[in-house]
Amino acid sequence: MRQGAQIHFLLPLIPGIALVAAPARAYEIDYSADRAAELRACDAHYFRGRRAEAENCFEALLEADGDPRIRAEAAWALGDSNKAFIETANGIFREAIVSYPEDAAARTRWGLLFAYTRNATEAKTLFDEALSIDADYAPALVGLADLAAEQFDGIARGFVDEALSNDPESIGAQLLLARMELEVGNLDSAEVSIDRALELIEARNLPPVEAYALKASLDLLRGALESPWIARALEYNPSYGDAYAIPAYIFVITRRYREAIDFYEHAVEVDPRNWSARTELGVNLLRENRIDEAYDHLETSYNLFGYDAQTRNSLILIDSYEHFTVELFDGMTTPRGGGAGVILRLHEDETAVLTPYLVELINRSIATFSERYAFTPEEPVIAELYPVAADFSVRTAGLPGIGLLGVTFGYLVAMNSPRPGLDGEFHWGTTLWHEMAHIFTLEATDHLVPRWFSEGVSVYEEWSTGPLNGRHIPSHVLQAMAEDKFLPIAGLDEGFIRPTYENQVIVSYMQAGLICEYIATQHGQQALRTMLEHFRAGDDSVTALEAALGITAAEFDERFAAHIEAEFAPTFANLDAWMEAQSAMLQHANESNWTEVRGPAESSIALLPFYVDEGSPYLYLARAQREAGDTAAARATLTAYYEQGGYAPEALLQLARWHLAAGEAATATRVFKDLLQVAPLEAAVHAELGDLLLETEPVEALREFEALAAMSPHDEAGLKYRMARAHLALGDRDKAREQLLYALEIAPNFREAQQLLLEIVR
Amino acid sequence: MRRGTCLALAGALAFGAGPARAELYYLIVGGLGGDPVYAESFAESTSAMAEAARRTVGDTRVTVLSGEGATREALEDAFASLNRRLAAADRLAIFLIGHGTYDGTDYKLNLTGPDIDGAAFAALLEQVPARNQLIVNATSASGAVLETWADDGRAVITATRSGRERNATRFAEYWANALSSADADVNKNGSLSAQEAYDYASRSTVESFEADGQLATEHSEISGDIAQGFEVSRLTARVTVSPAVAALKERAEDLEEQVAALRLRREELGDAYLPQLQALLVELAEVQEQIDAAAPTQ
Repeated sequence: MRQGAQIHFLLPLIPGIALVAAPARAYEIDYSADRAAELRACDAHYFRGRRAEAENCFEALLEADGDPRIRAEAAWALGDSNKAFIETANGIFREAIVSYPEDAAARTRWGLLFAYTRNATEAKTLFDEALSIDADYAPALVGLADLAAEQFDGIARGFVDEALSNDPESIGAQLLLARMELEVGNLDSAEVSIDRALELIEARNLPPVEAYALKASLDLLRGALESPWIARALEYNPSYGDAYAIPAYIFVITRRYREAIDFYEHAVEVDPRNWSARTELGVNLLRENRIDEAYDHLETSYNLFGYDAQTRNSLILIDSYEHFTVELFDGMTTPRGGGAGVILRLHEDETAVLTPYLVELINRSIATFSERYAFTPEEPVIAELYPVAADFSVRTAGLPGIGLLGVTFGYLVAMNSPRPGLDGEFHWGTTLWHEMAHIFTLEATDHLVPRWFSEGVSVYEEWSTGPLNGRHIPSHVLQAMAEDKFLPIAGLDEGFIRPTYENQVIVSYMQAGLICEYIATQHGQQALRTMLEHFRAGDDSVTALEAALGITAAEFDERFAAHIEAEFAPTFANLDAWMEAQSAMLQHANESNWTEVRGPAESSIALLPFYVDEGSPYLYLARAQREAGDTAAARATLTAYYEQGGYAPEALLQLARWHLAAGEAATATRVFKDLLQVAPLEAAVHAELGDLLLETEPVEALREFEALAAMSPHDEAGLKYRMARAHLALGDRDKAREQLLYALEIAPNFREAQQLLLEIVR
Repeated sequence: MRRGTCLALAGALAFGAGPARAELYYLIVGGLGGDPVYAESFAESTSAMAEAARRTVGDTRVTVLSGEGATREALEDAFASLNRRLAAADRLAIFLIGHGTYDGTDYKLNLTGPDIDGAAFAALLEQVPARNQLIVNATSASGAVLETWADDGRAVITATRSGRERNATRFAEYWANALSSADADVNKNGSLSAQEAYDYASRSTVESFEADGQLATEHSEISGDIAQGFEVSRLTARVTVSPAVAALKERAEDLEEQVAALRLRREELGDAYLPQLQALLVELAEVQEQIDAAAPTQ
């Protein structure tokens, strides 16, 4: 997955992900010490799989004229098989709060009902209210921790620790901690938590099945093909689908989607009414491009439980595929031979324009990475682009790492489409290159590669072989580096999955990229390949690193830190002055005081000449120079910006035009071509590039005009005229004549077309 | 047909012979901005439209009221002056830029000082002697006047489809762009009809919302049969020609009409269409070649 550098820009593209990203979860065991004995009696049936007895038991409690807290719980439990009872439960909880306003447990349980129905906002409010009644109430803290953990928010750990501090025997806290440790691969720590929870569960004679499922997850993450703990869970409760669904979820977080599918299939076999497992099965089948199967499971889940936004959104997404085209391009020959091909799933409005560029870049990336990572794709690569950001966010829901621009699920890459026009802070070519690299690191290791390494290789490949010059390290990452915020390599995955400060995810991306770059530079590309081999064999980061580099992780951390210090010391030294210059520059720019912008912009460039990302001083200096009427200087400034890897589309378009006006056609062509990696849906780019290519590359020129035609440009006559010129350059006078007639049909006074027509017919 | 009318009118303008010819006049009103961001935007659009107008007709037939000077009194004075100068055969193009409001009953154009409501503005329009009028109301809520300002011989363009679209509009900027854009000149005749400019501005507005990933808060509208034939902007300067060239131009116009007529028979002619089209277009191109050889480019 590629993180955009400008995260504040990216967040609005994923509306609602904070609330709907949670993985689907079924009705869960209440471990709290204050659960009523009457309910425990029904739980004993329920979590043993004796559904009929459990329903009778809960119905009796619901119908009795008793404590509304008990009746609400009974309704909730019945709601797991009949969703109509969920509203009933909600109503009774409301009564319960009125009757028992100082009961922290009641508010917490009501909050958990909201969490169950995917309403995190209401859930959080109730947990907070419970804590305002009893600040030490562990179940409320666990509730908050769970909400945060579902969003992969680093504050989750704080809540869990506080819960355990207040109540060391909180089973819920221990189990949540275990899940969180499993997600980041801290298997030994997870085992400690699970074992402690089991002790407490057995002591209190509570259902052990969830703990058994976590034990199974542990075994599987340790490389076991099977685990006896699943059988133990099913022995306790033959219809406990979560015996499979809980390990399946851990597989998803560790990107082992095929294993996850296998386990979710078992989960729904064991418990066909387990709607959450069905949803997760559907979502993961979608990640494997098994669309019809996905739809069936999602639809079944939706009919069982209609509250889950992920289920609903995934169904809507699949329905939207009727407006997408799917096309297979046969495999190209890679240096290693063979090639399984490329499948594109594109919105019908974008297919004609984007296809040639996507196929070219994907094939080039396959050739590059096959060579560099000694792996040839064994299945077709599938690339999906989504023009509607909300559709893409459905694809990434439930995954750690906010602000994603692209995501890879094995052989399937999904990303946002480029924006129409020149509104691009999103370099689609680089994003796709990044995602393509993920295919190699994932598939070469059967998805056993740790997150940091896969991201690190992708970032490193962006910098070294990708379509954009230079390393693009945001200023706040440089600041974090100066403050020594990099993590030890052994714990780097936590920076991605459980960030503990704002922007730690991006910092981790950059750290991972710098690590891979360092390894390749110091030890050769082979070292990266060797690490991949070890990951495939099931080794962890420390073992793989030692095997590939011959040094311990601790030694590596020392040497890497020294390397960073040596390389970036001048940058760190200039950072404060740079920020001051930037601040002054931006203030003058906001006041349109362009004369005053020049000084700080020039200083800023001198201090960090490689900085071309958001707020790049090159752009401000060029604007100031233009305002002063110094076009030559502005062109030189934008040229420097471009050579450093700057890609702001309006700036590049202006630069290309200036180069053209100065007679530098070859340079202008290069800039136009690079501009397509940012703004392929801007008609002017295709038109002007095509015009430039007419004499030297008429085939490419025609391609540009065909892309333009697919965009239904306003100036149709102009388009036909361009097509005519391209055909003529290719020697096809008949096609040229025909296009001219179409142009003049629209615009009979079109001078250039008239002249060309006379040339052809005479 | 409308296009023929436009061509005949253009021809009359180009030849500059005979009795006083029908002239095009502009009244451009850039209303109150309020917020500095809007004030700057409105001023820029007003200025760009004025530039296009002056390029088309020169300085003397363009009246611009902007910012502090855009008062009700100034507006009424401008109308009074136009009423004295315009003849029935003349044409008037009015562009309104700025904020408009609609309270469910009345539309108001925000000016410096007292505003003017839709009915009062319509009353001013009624007094204008020019038989052909183009009113482009690029303000917010302008859709409220689309029907009430409609009349025979008058094309009305509004930035919004109703009075309920209240956000500051983007349409004004794109209308200003259209008036000077070769891309808007779909038939490549060197001038823009109101319809051409509207199509371009409307499309640009839609695309700007799509590019921003936002739902459109405005939907422009156009009414009135004369929009197709109402030349609202020239992209190049007009020049006077000799009688010999005038005759060639008349022949060119005749050929254009034949092309237009042939287009209507496209389906009926089938495979015979393109050869016939080519014959006309080649002759038209040859006539244009002679015009270009004899006269400066126009």
